[in-house]
Amino acid sequence: MTLTRRMLLAATAATLALPAAAQDAPAPWDGSETPTIALVRYLSTGDFFQAYLSGVERQAEALGAELRVFDSRQDAALQSDMMDQAIGLGVDGIIVQHGLTESMAPAVQRAVDAGIPVVAFDVNVENDAVPQIEQSDRDLARLALEQAIADNGESFQAGYVYVAGIAPLDRRDETWQEFKERYPGIEEVASWGTLDNPIANSVADQASAVLRANPMIEVVFAPYDEFAKGVVIAANEAGMAQDLKIYSADMSTANINAMREPGSPWAASAATNPAVVGEVSVRALAMLMAGEDPGDQVVIPPALITQDFLNENDIGNMEELAAKLPSFAHADVAMTDWMPLPPR
Amino acid sequence: MSLQIEGMTKRFGTNTVLRGVDLALAPGTITAFMGANGAGKSTLVKIVAGVHSASGGTMTLDGRPFAPVTPSAALRAGVVVVHQIINDNVVLTMDVLENLMIDRLCAGGSPIFRRRTHRDEAQAMLDRVGLDVPLSAELADLPLADRQMVAIARALAHDPKLLILDEPTSALSDSEAERLFAVLEGLRDQGVPILYISHRMGDIRRLADRIVTLRDGRVTGDFSAPLDYSGAVRAMLGAALDAAAHDRVPPGPPVLTARGLRVLPGAAPLDIDLNAAEVTAIVGLVGAGKTELAETLYGLRRPLAGKMTLNGAPYAPRHPGDAVAAGVFMAAEDRTGGSIVPDFDLARNVTLPFLGAFSQFGMMRRDREARRASEAIAALDIVAQGPDDPIASLSGGNQQKVVLARWLTRPARVLILDEPFQGVDIAARRDIGRALRATARDRATLVLCSDLDEAIELADRIVILSHGALRAEQEAGALDRTALVHAMSAAA
Amino acid sequence: MPDTVLTASEPPARSGADLRVLAVRWGLIVLLLGMVGFFAAAEPAFLSVRNMVIVLQSVSIVAILALGVTCTLVVGGFDLSIGSVAASALMAASYVMVVWEGGTLAAVAACLALGLLVGLVNGLLIVKLRVPDLLATLGMMFLLLGLQLIPTAGRSIATGMSLPDGTVAEGRFTATFLALGRHRVWDTVPISVLVMLALAVAITVFLTFTRWGRVMYAIGSNPQAARLAGANVERYKIAAYMISGLCASIGGILLAARVGRGDVSSGNSLLLDAVAAALIGFAVFGAGKPNAVGTAIGALFVGLLLNGLTMMNAPYYTQDAIKGAVLVAALMFTFGLSVRRS
Repeated sequence: MTLTRRMLLAATAATLALPAAAQDAPAPWDGSETPTIALVRYLSTGDFFQAYLSGVERQAEALGAELRVFDSRQDAALQSDMMDQAIGLGVDGIIVQHGLTESMAPAVQRAVDAGIPVVAFDVNVENDAVPQIEQSDRDLARLALEQAIADNGESFQAGYVYVAGIAPLDRRDETWQEFKERYPGIEEVASWGTLDNPIANSVADQASAVLRANPMIEVVFAPYDEFAKGVVIAANEAGMAQDLKIYSADMSTANINAMREPGSPWAASAATNPAVVGEVSVRALAMLMAGEDPGDQVVIPPALITQDFLNENDIGNMEELAAKLPSFAHADVAMTDWMPLPPR
Repeated sequence: MSLQIEGMTKRFGTNTVLRGVDLALAPGTITAFMGANGAGKSTLVKIVAGVHSASGGTMTLDGRPFAPVTPSAALRAGVVVVHQIINDNVVLTMDVLENLMIDRLCAGGSPIFRRRTHRDEAQAMLDRVGLDVPLSAELADLPLADRQMVAIARALAHDPKLLILDEPTSALSDSEAERLFAVLEGLRDQGVPILYISHRMGDIRRLADRIVTLRDGRVTGDFSAPLDYSGAVRAMLGAALDAAAHDRVPPGPPVLTARGLRVLPGAAPLDIDLNAAEVTAIVGLVGAGKTELAETLYGLRRPLAGKMTLNGAPYAPRHPGDAVAAGVFMAAEDRTGGSIVPDFDLARNVTLPFLGAFSQFGMMRRDREARRASEAIAALDIVAQGPDDPIASLSGGNQQKVVLARWLTRPARVLILDEPFQGVDIAARRDIGRALRATARDRATLVLCSDLDEAIELADRIVILSHGALRAEQEAGALDRTALVHAMSAAA
Repeated sequence: MPDTVLTASEPPARSGADLRVLAVRWGLIVLLLGMVGFFAAAEPAFLSVRNMVIVLQSVSIVAILALGVTCTLVVGGFDLSIGSVAASALMAASYVMVVWEGGTLAAVAACLALGLLVGLVNGLLIVKLRVPDLLATLGMMFLLLGLQLIPTAGRSIATGMSLPDGTVAEGRFTATFLALGRHRVWDTVPISVLVMLALAVAITVFLTFTRWGRVMYAIGSNPQAARLAGANVERYKIAAYMISGLCASIGGILLAARVGRGDVSSGNSLLLDAVAAALIGFAVFGAGKPNAVGTAIGALFVGLLLNGLTMMNAPYYTQDAIKGAVLVAALMFTFGLSVRRS
């Protein structure tokens, strides 16, 4: 796969680390001033968003930018206010992290009108001037499902955890539907899901009932880690952990530990490293600010992490994972020859 | 076992409630304690029970100085009080056993409450008062009488050195009361002094060895056997004035008439006319039905039977708003709970029912309010710095003047005052009486009180109310005090 | 009972009392000015007109809800359902326009009717069925949080969404409706700020200067006295809850216009922020009681604080702690210092 080879190359480049490149960087990254960039967030609580923020911070520091963080905490109106606040402060670039199209599109337009470069992560702001940064949900689902077929063959009885109406889950669902068409041997015996907090617990309650009613389920596709955690709880409680394999998306230190529990049914998870996503967001913005074009869409390719891989390499946390799995430590997107990378 | 009280005084702000009370409770006596509303009975009881502290005077219990600072200190010393309001004595959401053991629960001990270990003890407590209810019955499901007996059973379990009962039989039937009396007599024979507060002459005749009367914060009578019951009532109600302090004003036509009105269940129907220009006083003891009558006239409760007319037209107010709109005003009995708005200043307290008269297009006119308040301050000699004074900074008497000023703000057809002199000092009482008589000409005025002297001081006509029925009626200038006292005390 | 004549004749006690009176009356305002001064010094852009407009805009919806809850506080009640009323109004507006393809007026009318209806039901529960106010409105809050999700089976409402019955919603937010949240008068002042100011003035006038407001304060201070003075306490209480519901639904309309879709998670934080604003309002000018001016200033206080902290790059979790500290300080001014009776 060319993709993987490119990533390996990039990882090698990253380990060599080229801070000296900054001297040849275009303005405003030539060291003559300290550009300010704003991160305007819609979602902020949870491991993923914490790791994303740390990636943003690291890359901003490597670039020598001052970072301002605006947390709207799932308040769409406040997020729009914060865009205005950032514009008012006169920042040099803005990263929009999540949000609602309807409220962010006009706010982003105001920033663009004010001449401020903007990139958006995981939110469609309907603006040609704004590059989109995305993790590929379809690739995430595809990697996990391909592993499921590699492990279990083309025909098995499956459970599926899904809640409609959440964009990334909907995109992952499309892939699931395609797979079911392509492999008629896959039978979806039961489907459930909820986003009631705490999500893992609520899903576990549902899954307990489902697993008792359908003990023949061999594979559960739970394309969101909180879903997977819930199914793990339920499978352990029902004593079905040996007979079940769970395929999921997203990764965190807690997930690594859950996958490595002896007898854990959690077989594999496809994930992009949220810290890498954060770094890419800043790099894309930096290119835009320097007058370069990162492309309309900056897609971060996911990596597949299997239980076996974790066990074989004795991986205990995200740092070790990144060290052992280069495709997880760095994504070779939004790269230029002058781009300084965070030290590792 | 005995309690000695010497020279006890108590002041609340400028209001003196107890003015040097001496009282000795000897072992093995049941002392009936009588006094009209506001005489200071409950204040005295609260001092002995450790709720209030005295402003002056001393107490000794069993010869040792006694000055409880909290109710639990009094209880530890052996002073047990059964309060008048039954539901204050029990926890309605708990069952009989838990109620009986509640002092034990609060006292500490094992953190785990095991019903079984307490069952025998609780049953013994019930047996002592002869109450036959299951230990698991929830108090809320018991009739008032049984709740009262539970409270008394709990009180007796403390092995009291002094037992105080405040109107303990008001909710009890005759046979239940008899059971209580037997228990009390048993305690008396064990040498426990008992202070028994009651207005029921029947109880007092049945039980008391001695009667002490309290009036205006002083002991006015102390009767030993053979007991002079009407002497006691006279001492309690006062005997200072023999004639009215004013001339009788000739009454005008009837303004409000009631026919066949019944306000208490089982009471005889009453007929009454309230006449223009006349001040009528209805006098009765606690429980006579005064407040019920006032509330019926004011639309706070429906009459059980009977009809009322106002200026000849049928009058059946459904709530106070109707009454006020019809020109029937009432200053309620409980000044703090029912009249004063604590967050408002003086002026706002005066104008509250008549905001329409002090506003234009719905907007309040503060200047008009201030003018009216200043007027009231001058007319009633209210001790205050001005209309903006917070109402809480005024003394009880001045607050009562503000309440009167409120209802004098607009012309009334009928003005009802329920116990207007409760917690009011003598000077303020004079001012209020004068203002009331001076403005009485254009309306009918009804004053309800339990103090005969207050009534005589104020009224053109005095009507005795007892058990919801009118017993006697006399006019100022031709009062037969003995007959009035008899009518009040004979009824129960 | 404090005796004014007595304290006047005791100068030493009085100077201490004066200091306390000053602290109670001006403490919060001094705190507010100090805070503004600090932020302005640290970040010059803080005091710019543009930033002040942002502050006003960000507090406008919370302030509108807080003004409503102030009315229920005045009659001695409390309304916990305001946040969910606003969220329901947001969903209702979206549903009317996106699913039913209705116009601006229909959407606004539906929201206002919803707010009034919820207020009426709250009031009836509290007055007629004697459910304690906190419990009645808490129940209503849960009910609404669930009810608003039923028509769309839990999904957010946006143009092109598929409905539970399989059809696709074709309507969209009208431009006029969106302008309620986005248009700026003279290119500076958003409409939501104007609505907030108008409501603040209207409710201040209503509570402070009209006879009806006077009766509402009397009910809050001593309901029995108000009843015995002839006021129809039940009706006033119901009216207070209806005003609260109405304000919350207005807040919901403005929120919908800003967000531009029926987003299920919007309005989450409104309740607590609005209640905090109303409670901080108790301490403004030492009022010691619910009042509309105080509520507006309380909302502004919280808005300025959050805006400034954001500019200072304070993480969101510290902002919550600081907001809580301000609330506790305000409550201390109100209850600890002002009403100290011996």
